Amino acid sequence: MEKRYALCLDVLKRFQDAGILQEVILVGSWCMHFYRDYFKGVKYMPTIRTRDIDFAVPTPIRIKKRVDVAELLKDEGFLVQFSGGRGFQKLVHPELIVEFLVPEKGRGIDKPYPIPQLGTNAQALRFLDFLIENTIVIDSEGLRVRIPHPAAFGLHKLIVSGRRNDKKEKAAKDIKEGVAVLTALVEQDEAAGIREMFCKMPVPWRKKVVNALAGYEDEDIVSRLMILLTVS
Amino acid sequence: MRVIKGVLEEELENSRQLKKEYEKALKALPRGVLVKKEIGGHIYYYLMQREGNKVRFEYKGKPSKDEIKKYDEAKRLRAKYRKLLADVKKQISFLERALRGKEIRSLS
Repeated sequence: MEKRYALCLDVLKRFQDAGILQEVILVGSWCMHFYRDYFKGVKYMPTIRTRDIDFAVPTPIRIKKRVDVAELLKDEGFLVQFSGGRGFQKLVHPELIVEFLVPEKGRGIDKPYPIPQLGTNAQALRFLDFLIENTIVIDSEGLRVRIPHPAAFGLHKLIVSGRRNDKKEKAAKDIKEGVAVLTALVEQDEAAGIREMFCKMPVPWRKKVVNALAGYEDEDIVSRLMILLTVS
Repeated sequence: MRVIKGVLEEELENSRQLKKEYEKALKALPRGVLVKKEIGGHIYYYLMQREGNKVRFEYKGKPSKDEIKKYDEAKRLRAKYRKLLADVKKQISFLERALRGKEIRSLS
């Protein structure tokens, strides 16, 4: 795990040195590492077990610099891999897989979204806009990283858990991570922020959050969060 | 337990794919290593390549900076890819053993 963590930091440092780290948003489970700097004085101990390191790119793409990310990470042993039959590009390494994501608009597209500024392409994902529109910047370990606000991260994890129809273990992991972050926010007296963000969500999204929470194992935590998310 | 089996199988498939990618990447690198020799106060470059059990030296004269850089990069990448390929092979071995385990097999 130490090797993976060091490699993740190296990837972020290379992006920062190339001038593109501020143009993208680190999403996915690796955000949880950087929330340690957000949750001070609160018990928060994330365990990150994923190989995936995902970056959301706001659209339309406004990245001015041209950086070939495959070339940038080549000497660390990352290889370009095309998957999905449609040419979705990833950068793969035994310890990490780097992927770029863009918000899915309208009915959605099942082909790669080109990002010529980075010499790669991205997969479009539903609900990603919610993360992109609610970000914070964390200064940590010599890096300045943009990540989703923890409330957005937690609520988003609960929403997307319901979409993992064939992967129950990933759905369970999403719910666990979402609840861990939301609970830490409540303990840091930021429950009002969660509620505000929840109330601004479309009703179908709120239903997804509540449905995901209902299945969580710890009833105390479920009841605390359900009270918070009850909209009259 | 079935969930764990599914995760291991997925990871094994990914690792096998990654092994193929590293083998392909190694084959795509320029063969040989540029070796510098000083003869009579002058520097000459030779491309050293293995052919079976023999080592062959091909005289390259004074290659351009770009060519030297290309071979230096290939040397670094070759070392890197070989190490990572070895790691992936260990991973595959571990996953195959885990999936052959009695408890996991009983789920088939």
